[in-house]
Amino acid sequence: MRGARLLLGGVLALASASASAQPAHQHLRLIAPAAPGGGWDQTARAMQAVLQAAGLVGTSSVENIPGAAGTIGLARFVSAERGNGDVLMLSGLIMLGAVVTHQSPVTLREVTPIARLLGEWEVVVVPSASPYQSLADLTDAFRTRPESISWGGGSAGGTDQILAGLFADAVGVAPNRVNYIAFSGGGESLSAILGGQVSVGVNGLAELAPHIEAGTVRALAISSGERLPNLDVPTFREQGVDVEIENWRSVVAPPGVSATERERLEQTTAAMVRSPQWHEALARYRWNDRYLAGAAFARFSAAEEARVEGILARLGTGSSAGAASVAAVGRYPLFVLFGLAASALWSAGAMVRWRARAGETPVPAAGVADRWRAVILIAVAAGIDVLLLDRAGFIIASTALFWVTARAFDASHPIRDVVFALAISTASYVVFVRWLDLALPAGVLAGWL
Amino acid sequence: MLETLRLLAEGFASALTGPHLAWAFAGVTLGTAVGVLPGIGPALTVALLLPVTFSLDPVSAFIMFGGIYYGAMYGGSTTSILINSPGETASIVTAIDGHVMARKGRASAALTTAAVGSFVAGTVATLALTFFAPMLASVALSFGPAEYFALTMVAFTTVAVLLGASLARGLFSLFLGLALGLVGIDQLTGTARFSFGIPQLLDGIDVMILVIGLFAVGETLHQAWRRGQDEGDVVALHDFTGMSRDDWRRSWRPWLRGTAIGFPLGVLPCGGSVIPTVVSYMVERRLSARPEEFGHGAIEGVAGPEAANNAAAAGVLVPLLTLGLPSSATAAVLLTAFQQYGLQPGPLLFSTRPDLVWTLIASLYIGNVMLLVLNLPLAPLWARVMLVPRRLLFASILVLASVGAYSLNRSLLDVALLYAVGMIGWGMRVLDIPLVPAVLGLILGPLAEQQFRRAVAISEGDYSVFVTRPISAVLLASAAAVLIAPLVFRRMRGAATP
Repeated sequence: MRGARLLLGGVLALASASASAQPAHQHLRLIAPAAPGGGWDQTARAMQAVLQAAGLVGTSSVENIPGAAGTIGLARFVSAERGNGDVLMLSGLIMLGAVVTHQSPVTLREVTPIARLLGEWEVVVVPSASPYQSLADLTDAFRTRPESISWGGGSAGGTDQILAGLFADAVGVAPNRVNYIAFSGGGESLSAILGGQVSVGVNGLAELAPHIEAGTVRALAISSGERLPNLDVPTFREQGVDVEIENWRSVVAPPGVSATERERLEQTTAAMVRSPQWHEALARYRWNDRYLAGAAFARFSAAEEARVEGILARLGTGSSAGAASVAAVGRYPLFVLFGLAASALWSAGAMVRWRARAGETPVPAAGVADRWRAVILIAVAAGIDVLLLDRAGFIIASTALFWVTARAFDASHPIRDVVFALAISTASYVVFVRWLDLALPAGVLAGWL
Repeated sequence: MLETLRLLAEGFASALTGPHLAWAFAGVTLGTAVGVLPGIGPALTVALLLPVTFSLDPVSAFIMFGGIYYGAMYGGSTTSILINSPGETASIVTAIDGHVMARKGRASAALTTAAVGSFVAGTVATLALTFFAPMLASVALSFGPAEYFALTMVAFTTVAVLLGASLARGLFSLFLGLALGLVGIDQLTGTARFSFGIPQLLDGIDVMILVIGLFAVGETLHQAWRRGQDEGDVVALHDFTGMSRDDWRRSWRPWLRGTAIGFPLGVLPCGGSVIPTVVSYMVERRLSARPEEFGHGAIEGVAGPEAANNAAAAGVLVPLLTLGLPSSATAAVLLTAFQQYGLQPGPLLFSTRPDLVWTLIASLYIGNVMLLVLNLPLAPLWARVMLVPRRLLFASILVLASVGAYSLNRSLLDVALLYAVGMIGWGMRVLDIPLVPAVLGLILGPLAEQQFRRAVAISEGDYSVFVTRPISAVLLASAAAVLIAPLVFRRMRGAATP
């Protein structure tokens, strides 16, 4: 949104204009390995606002690379950003869990750790109409028949499920008997909790706090070591259950950055966490300040990795989300594949019969070659685009795509079309990259743009 | 009620000043402009434009959000109608009749009914939001996995009217979508299915890839293929007059019905914005005296779904504002935006920050008016896009489609997948296989499967939950009725006139 910011700059007196010192980064990119709206996206956008408002960077942008609880973003980050000193990716406990659950070939050991930023406590709640008044009530029912308690929370293998597993372990129930119902996002699991669709809900404090205060849910326990000063919820420990876990988030740099670049990123991050704007953001989102940099952060990360691996192995994610749901897994794909095959045969049969009755639709013989030529030309254009996009860059690849596609429709203006192709490709590049901050490969023209 | 009106009046008072109106106009313009680009859906549009509002005061920023949000929801219908290339799922259904209208020279009328319908729906739905939000929110909470499963079954019945000429080919398209929906991580257990060891496939096949591939790329290939075959029906338009008296008469009921369908389905999130639009299309076709016109440029087929789409956009705000529940990706981004201003949507919001809430709601009304002001004069101008030489038009579409696919995950694989899906889309057009069922299958299949398994897991393996829970039972029964009723009617009619 740099373009629009500049545009607005004329209208508004920007707060950042007062920062006089030269920032360490002209443009710092932040990668949120999740869809807009999730925890990582929220953190990245808060960082973006703070970095710009405090004048620590010239400009900053957020890019979303969603998928598989962050592991797709991680794989992309390690391969595409290697050695780039102007980019940071959000990471954290959930990514450690996802690397294990999804057997990701790329792990967090390959990136350059910069700093842990913040932590969020987890809360176990029940709907206000629930029969469970305290953690002891819940523990009794859970011990008697573990599967009768349904635990609603975020995606499989995430912090919410890890907490449920740690709890089961601490009260002497095998973690793989937790009837965990994974929902795809905080909102979805929250509505199941509020509506009493699940027996127990696990979620981050920030998302649950307004509902605890409003009395729509009853908080049974919080995952912190000590009771929070401003929230009247007992910890697991004070109720005799040995569980403590914090969902932490951190920033990492790509592999292969130089020592100077790494130092620069560490300094920018350190300056950011010292700024008053960052402390406002922490208070707003109820995040705990957990700034930890350098070797101490690397050691912490390694210890957490071992802990997460241990509990996830015992939870058995991937094979046991309650016996009932596993029974239903196998049949649905079979049903779909059978339906696909059957309907394909049926339509093919119907079509053959129809053709046989109606005879071939007459097509002028001269037209047939032309039609195939047009379709093949477009296929070639698409092939060129895929081949050139990363290697030669967006502008060259799209110019070729445009020009060859135009040939398929009408080949009478080759020169004029080259001009159009270049104009449209360059304009798209400028609009998307300069104005909308959507990264497109610059390729061989990188030095010019 | 009176209290609500007073608060709303205060909201208007703070929103209706010169500079605020200018921000509303800027928001609507930016939202529409970015929303028009294929592959950039409303969620990404709002996220991309978020930093623009960082430097504004809260009131101006909220007014701009209102404009951006409604503008982004509206933007997609333009490309759908003009070049049969919906940029997002919400405007797929609009393309069916909207593009036929455009090819018959009635692009301006189609764009106008979409704009006015969006305005009517947006305004009525915002009214409903103003007065009934807390009540509706508690209804939404009574929906659990069993009810959502039943709701997906109702949505599946809409496929019946989208099948096209042949039942077999329609089912094939549906199952193709369902099969594509199997790819990726199983949400409930975290295990990968059908991803063939390719990491990018872990998250499944993006609906946007399927939509842009089947429609935009498929249409480009198909136009190239038909070149010289059908000069007759190529854009005989030079009529930019917009809607006739007859068009208005045929549009107003679909607008209202679309609103009535879209708003509750926005409150109850189920498969995003595509479901309200297909349900509206099905209803319009069933109620129409001339069902044979559907698929050949029936204006009701544009008016209803477009209204439903915008009403759903307002419905999404109900759980967001009253409970702090983001029920769609766009709502999640809006939630982040609110939090930037220290505003925590949820049960306490209406009592803690009434000033901001009512300004936001007032600005939604204003955004709607601005959208109409912006788009009515633009409709005849947009319609002239049909006059651009086709080699340039379709070449530009391919370039924009590739940008859209690439920017989803910044992955080359997505671009390759886009062209592969485009080839399939072309083949389906040549063989006269309908496209929309495949998209519905991809969206609804995984939803239905997940909700079914969640419901069964919660009930510890007891399958009877679907019929013992009253809402679920009623929904399943109505789904069955929708499928069976036409057959029964036909038989009765057949018996009456032997």
